[in-house]
Amino acid sequence: MKRFREPLFVLLLVFFLQSCAGWAKNMDYHPFDASELDKLTPGKSTVAQVTEMLGAPSNIVKLSNGNAYIYRRSLSKGTGIWLLIVSFGNYDKHYDQIVIFFDKKNIMTHYGITLDAHKAAYGLPF
Amino acid sequence: MVSPFKIFSFVMYPFIVGSLITGCVSYRVIKAVEGRSVPNISAEFRVGTTTLQEALQTLGAPDQVAELEGKDLLIYQQSILANSGLAFGIPLADIWGPSFNFSAYGELVRYDLVFLSFTPDGILREIASEKGSRYPYLKTILSEMQQ
Repeated sequence: MKRFREPLFVLLLVFFLQSCAGWAKNMDYHPFDASELDKLTPGKSTVAQVTEMLGAPSNIVKLSNGNAYIYRRSLSKGTGIWLLIVSFGNYDKHYDQIVIFFDKKNIMTHYGITLDAHKAAYGLPF
Repeated sequence: MVSPFKIFSFVMYPFIVGSLITGCVSYRVIKAVEGRSVPNISAEFRVGTTTLQEALQTLGAPDQVAELEGKDLLIYQQSILANSGLAFGIPLADIWGPSFNFSAYGELVRYDLVFLSFTPDGILREIASEKGSRYPYLKTILSEMQQ
């Protein structure tokens, strides 16, 4: 057992000397406040009121009976680990999204909301 | 007093062994997930009765919105990328010239998708879904694409 001690020590030293890890965070940020949606009423609120509260949308899509205003931001987190001959990478991206539907008279009819960006996490790929 | 040869061995062996090993074999695993998990909705949604309002309450904001031939489309999607690679070679190029190297890499992107189509009145007209994440990585990437 004693004769394996030195080679084992060398291998462990190699393992740690040639290992490294890295973390990264990317944010595609738009400063809309989703709690403001409580102040809006389907069937009454207008495009002007929505854009005054939430700002300019990230995208507008023309629909069969009006338009959809899309507010979107994202958070992504990346993790990289290099252990001598093995490397692991993990990338996790989630979105906060609000989609507001307007009729042809620019009155809000429906909206959908997903607040998921906070779920982006560092981690391993398994 | 510690022999300088012992110190030399402790410094140089790790460097030499490490340089050789990292040049010979490498293996990598990468995973990238974009978006939230897409729920199974087949039991809850009914064509002709489910409304746009109900869909938005259940699933939240869609990832894509589009209009196609008078129908409004909502698409919910999550993409899962898996990448792995194995390389084996002897780094002799500097001292020997030709050297051999074997490597194998693979990348697979799977999608979980829910597609909903609504009439202008906001009634569900079509529904389709795909659960790409249920396909195992190795088995899928090693299989031939079906015509």
